[in-house]
Amino acid sequence: MNPSMKRAIPTAVVALIAILIPLFLNDKTVYVQTVLSAVVVVGLSLFMGYAGQASLGQGAFVAVGALTVAVSTVSFNVPPLIALIAAPVTSAGLAYVLGLPLLRLRGHYLAFGTLAVLLLVGALMGGVPILGGGAGIVGIPSLGIGSLVVTGQLFFAYLALAVLAVTMVVSRNVISSRFGRGVRAVAGSESAAASSGVPVLRTKLAVFALAGGCAGLVGGITAFFIPYVSAESFPPSMSFTYVIMAVIGGLGTLWGGVVGAVVVSVLVQALNTISNIPGTPPIVGLILQYAAYAIILILFLLYMPRGLWPTVGDAVKRRLAKRVKRSQTDYSDQHA
Amino acid sequence: MLSITALSRSYGGVFAVRDVSLVVGQGELRGIIGPNGAGKSTLMNLISGQTQPLRGSIHFDGARLERIPTHRRARLGIAIVFQGARLFRGMTVLENVMVGATSITQSGAFAAALRLPAQRREEHHIRERAVAALARVGLSDWADRPADSLPLGQQRRVQVARALAGAPKLLLLDEPASGLRAAERRDLSDLIAQLHGEGMTIVLIEHDVAMVMKLATRIAVLDLGQVIADGTPEEVRSNQRVIDAYLGTEVSRAHS
Repeated sequence: MNPSMKRAIPTAVVALIAILIPLFLNDKTVYVQTVLSAVVVVGLSLFMGYAGQASLGQGAFVAVGALTVAVSTVSFNVPPLIALIAAPVTSAGLAYVLGLPLLRLRGHYLAFGTLAVLLLVGALMGGVPILGGGAGIVGIPSLGIGSLVVTGQLFFAYLALAVLAVTMVVSRNVISSRFGRGVRAVAGSESAAASSGVPVLRTKLAVFALAGGCAGLVGGITAFFIPYVSAESFPPSMSFTYVIMAVIGGLGTLWGGVVGAVVVSVLVQALNTISNIPGTPPIVGLILQYAAYAIILILFLLYMPRGLWPTVGDAVKRRLAKRVKRSQTDYSDQHA
Repeated sequence: MLSITALSRSYGGVFAVRDVSLVVGQGELRGIIGPNGAGKSTLMNLISGQTQPLRGSIHFDGARLERIPTHRRARLGIAIVFQGARLFRGMTVLENVMVGATSITQSGAFAAALRLPAQRREEHHIRERAVAALARVGLSDWADRPADSLPLGQQRRVQVARALAGAPKLLLLDEPASGLRAAERRDLSDLIAQLHGEGMTIVLIEHDVAMVMKLATRIAVLDLGQVIADGTPEEVRSNQRVIDAYLGTEVSRAHS
């Protein structure tokens, strides 16, 4: 077996497990939401991890994707498939336009700028009638082409999984390319990147739009999946969750985004189970969730600042290297 | 090839560069020396595009540079080796050098996402260029190390390789010898002489006056943002204003 096939084995195993899981779940909602948030986080990881920028506003682009589907299908009778394609395009376009002024900001200022976008989109969704102000948008049709309509949770589970797979492959290809090296160079030194011929602002814009596109597609799929879109169904807190997922999984790694999404989703699910015990006041769930976010974020920044995936990955690599060394020594002992 | 006319740049009312005019001919190794705060690095940043001039013009290969952003100047063939390391952390030495080839290549994110054949060919070409540039500066064995794990001398060489990967017409070296040990200085000096020998046009800003005296074909001396002398190493060495600016010390030491 050649080395590249050997390296593909773990990925194939993970993919197989991911394909099998929904078959054993009665309610696949959490599965679909977890996989979809992984897509958002992989996009965010490109922007935060590889390009070294900050965004607290990814939730806004998810919401805009959902709105694109909801408004275009319900108010303008746009065919569902077209609406789904329009979702990432709209979000990416919005990210690009907003990025023109925003991406001139750096660090904390950029984080606040993106936060403002998030709050703005939330306010528009809550207040403007055509965007579902107050009541939200209901009556989103099922996804399909003409009379061929797909329903059922299993379809969405596999759609989400396919989207995640494509996102991963595309992201990997992009990162290991001329453009991707430019992206990482911008994170390292903007002046040196520019002097090497990297158009710094345009590169940041492109990555922001790409991350926005990922978020928009997720929003679009979610709108068909739920199928209901309101300010409450896309709360601002989701934006922070994405950032926490990215940080815990490991910024600057693609698999870190997936790991972070899964770990945080499982955690939130466990907390929900606790707060759903009969007799617990309804506010407990939210309090537990925020407290848990704060605690794990602090713990990770203190003890595992690089995140789960790089830290565990390196530990495994070291262990393997040691084992190879030992077996080599054994070999030379025998033949001495 | 490079022609600077009456260039000025001030910071908070104080001129860092004032009415500087300078011509660098094709294939020339132009030294720029001057005491601390003479405006050497500001001049370099004005040429490479990190800062914009208040007045004056910069012509390069027939194009006016002042309004052209840094990354497009790189595309015109200007490469710079910064005084600080300014490597791209989180990337290997080879990847750092590959970034240098950005200025002479095309493919974008879309072609990369789909791994189009043209993109893959170009990627191969970039890798070959970077490997050659690394061999050129003697860092082939370090290619797969994280760039920021290298000692300073090597990091400077990575920067030189990164600049060379873009096949520049004009190479700007901003105090390349600062912080290097004697042996590293000699190696670097040899490398610069070699590049010049192959016809590369180079602007060398240095604190190490002896090194500039040895390498440069012409030297401009800056003091308080102005050119106080411009000529061959011999002319500059015997210029009274230069000796005054340096209080006689460094220049005469370089002479001996």
